[in-house]
Amino acid sequence: MGKQTTSINLFRYHLVRVALVLLCGVLIARVLMLHTVKRDFLQGQGDARTVRTEKIFAHRGMIQDRQGKPLAISSPVGSVWADPKELIKSEDDLAALALSLGVEVATFENRLLLNQDRDFIYLRRHLPPLQVDKILSLAVAGVYVQREYHRFYPAGEVAAQVLGFTNIDDEGQEGLELAFDDWLRGTPGKKKVLKNRYGQIVRDIKPLEDAEAGRTLALSLDLRVQYHAYRELKTAMQRYKAESGSIVILDVENGEVLAMVNQPSFNPNDRSSLEAAFVRNRAVIDLFEPGSTVKPFTLAVALQSGKYTPHTKIDTAPIRVNNKMISDPSNLGVLDVASVISKSSQVGITKIALSLNEQDMWNMFHELGLGETTGAGFPGESAGYLPNRRNWNDIERATFAYGYGLSVTPLQLARAYLVIASGGVKKQISLVKRSVRQTQRVLDEKVAAQVLQILKRVVTEGTGRRAKVDSYTVAGKTGTVRKVGSSGYVTDHHLAFFVGVTPVEHPRLVAVVLINDPKSDEFGGGSIAAPVFSRVMAGALRLLNVPPDDFKKAA
Amino acid sequence: MAIRRRDGIRCPVDLFLLIIVVILTTIGVVMVASASSDISNRMYGSPFYLLAKHMVFVAVGLGIACSTLLVPIRFWQEMDWLLLTVTFALLLVVLIPGIGREVNGSIRWISLGSFSIQSSEFVKLFIIIYVSAYLVRTKEQLLNQWLGVAKPIVLLAAVVVLLLMEPDFGAVVVITVSVLGLIFLAGVPLHQFLPVITLSSLTVSCIAIWQPYRLQRLITFADPWEHQYTSGYQLTQALIAFGRGEWFGLGLGNSIQKLFFLPEAHTDFLFSILAEELGAVGAIVVIALFVCLICRALWIGKRAHENGEEFTGLLAYGIALLLSSQIIINIGVNLGLLPTKGLTLPFISYGGNSLVVCSILIAILLRIDYENRNEALHKGSIH
Repeated sequence: MGKQTTSINLFRYHLVRVALVLLCGVLIARVLMLHTVKRDFLQGQGDARTVRTEKIFAHRGMIQDRQGKPLAISSPVGSVWADPKELIKSEDDLAALALSLGVEVATFENRLLLNQDRDFIYLRRHLPPLQVDKILSLAVAGVYVQREYHRFYPAGEVAAQVLGFTNIDDEGQEGLELAFDDWLRGTPGKKKVLKNRYGQIVRDIKPLEDAEAGRTLALSLDLRVQYHAYRELKTAMQRYKAESGSIVILDVENGEVLAMVNQPSFNPNDRSSLEAAFVRNRAVIDLFEPGSTVKPFTLAVALQSGKYTPHTKIDTAPIRVNNKMISDPSNLGVLDVASVISKSSQVGITKIALSLNEQDMWNMFHELGLGETTGAGFPGESAGYLPNRRNWNDIERATFAYGYGLSVTPLQLARAYLVIASGGVKKQISLVKRSVRQTQRVLDEKVAAQVLQILKRVVTEGTGRRAKVDSYTVAGKTGTVRKVGSSGYVTDHHLAFFVGVTPVEHPRLVAVVLINDPKSDEFGGGSIAAPVFSRVMAGALRLLNVPPDDFKKAA
Repeated sequence: MAIRRRDGIRCPVDLFLLIIVVILTTIGVVMVASASSDISNRMYGSPFYLLAKHMVFVAVGLGIACSTLLVPIRFWQEMDWLLLTVTFALLLVVLIPGIGREVNGSIRWISLGSFSIQSSEFVKLFIIIYVSAYLVRTKEQLLNQWLGVAKPIVLLAAVVVLLLMEPDFGAVVVITVSVLGLIFLAGVPLHQFLPVITLSSLTVSCIAIWQPYRLQRLITFADPWEHQYTSGYQLTQALIAFGRGEWFGLGLGNSIQKLFFLPEAHTDFLFSILAEELGAVGAIVVIALFVCLICRALWIGKRAHENGEEFTGLLAYGIALLLSSQIIINIGVNLGLLPTKGLTLPFISYGGNSLVVCSILIAILLRIDYENRNEALHKGSIH
């Protein structure tokens, strides 16, 4: 019996052993099958769960001033988003997450509950990289980070309206950011990455499309001049408690805009308390009646017609035109043409205008660029209004000649004066640095020079005396117009402005200073805008190393 | 005879078995290091926390194995009743609320401060010892009467019921297979054994579909890709690991599935990560090492039998069955050949209880082999 059982047991021993080895054989066969027959299927399934295409955010181009100083820069930031369905499960981590996001725990949890049926909510956008790293290190399931760029404007409010701004998705919304969006915007690329189950990128596999960074935009603005002009404008605004104001400075040599500032302004880096009125680039959008500042254009037509010379005498006693009395504040008597301008005589200029061909007048104003956009390419630029009538009556001709019944922007007015400053040549206005420029002669060189000399007298002995700049000669014209209210012109609200050219012998700068509704005893362009012009130019001429030309005074 | 004597003198332990176990444990440490680092970093803030714990358990296992080596096999045979008492004590204590610790819906651990005891791991060992001793003690009854087979089956049923209360279905299967295998190897006549095995299979099958979640596991197992986002998630992730591995693997540390895709990557599903990082070749080498281990354990049992040491032989068989069923089931689950259940892979997976118990099993095997050699030496010197 013992021997029999032993042999049975030995048989069973072998049976068990073979069975176990065979089972292990099955395991090996299955391993081989998974590694060969099913490999492609399994790898496909695996890749479907782990391989993702990620967007590579493209760097938006920088905006620089003419010297290469940065005006708008994109810096890398991270936007934290969550899958609420997933995040709501990690209850224990919510407090720590809310803390590192800088939001209140209760608020955060409420928001999560409200959005619990969604797949995507932003937790916070545009966080600095350090904070993003901190949040990532918490490794909360359902929290993800999207790399983006945040636009930063080093010049702040100084160039805010000109530059405009981008939205949170880095797309241009206003100003030059909008106008040159195609140029500045980069093309985002794509890459294949490997992600772990929490959506964190573990490994870059390969780039699919390279991201193409946007191009740099070099502006014609000189940040130093811009700063200086802005500071002076802001000071004046505060002193006169004015409603708004603008300054435009053009380079006579090439028609480039050196400075363009507006008040009130805003901080483009913190747009939480933004008002639409602050965003408007008034220098190219707001229209106003140019008033006396167009008198030099009428003068140019008169000189060009050959009927007048600077010394032609005109009696400026009050006259009646179409039953409307036209008079100066006081009867200035008989003046020569130059004094009509320097003393800003309504009667004198009316008489000149009525003696000229009205179509010649309109043509001249049109050639100088009134009533058409400057082509500087600023979005939303106003064209202004230059009426072209078939039948002008005398009062229309007269008021047109001294700047009522048409409207311009500060930039347009500056461009028209640039023609006089550059000897009768109209130049393409530009906010960016360009090598090719269009020029067009619209006025005799001699006439332009005569007008400029007459405008010089406005500053030396006329209404614009407070526009003088030490050591430099200045030519310019004051302007004061009543504002238009709901029922015609109002008496107690004015626009005070001054347009000037300096230095007169070799003109380099043209500037327009516009102060809207100053609240002080004086309100005229000569007393409000001219002093601002003087200070702005004094600084700008030195910053630009323009040689002085007026040594008598200095000595 | 001279050769055998020299053999016995030269080396008192079975080097073959020892080397296999050392290799497997080393592979285990390396794989735990790789698979646990990300999980450990996320859960404990240090990529080496789980590895350090695993290595402490390796050291503890080594210490306990050395002590076990000193214990004569006869001691275990004499202690059978005590061990049975301890077995039921462990199974009952874990069910007392407040003592048993619940993890993933199962109460399997008795918490003892800084570490916890998984009762089923020790139950496996003690049951095998008791059943071996019982089978030897009641050999006459076993071979001739129904009662002889019925008694251990009743005992098994009691253990199974208690294990199912945790529940620990994996341990149920391993213990059932091992005990039935032992009864088979003990030489119970087929006309007695066949009804027993039929009944047991039916019972286990009923249990398997009785609980809805186990039934769901079975349905999932049939087509995991149909349920890939729910109940089939773990299995599909494990299979993907095999597909990624190709022949030579992605290389150590390069597993993607361990990056939180595959749950239990460092414990029950470590074999999948091993196949992903070391490829088909690595996986087959590990299976081959296990085959050598199983065959060696069986061979040690056979030698004991040949020496007339029936208890010792059965104990070695039991250990071989315990290890092989656990190995085959774990790898089978990883490969999608068997429905998912929570079992660790001996020597490889992270897990202190498993490591300590496996160390004891190997120490007992080495002791049996040592006694075999002494026996042979003794017999040899008589002749």
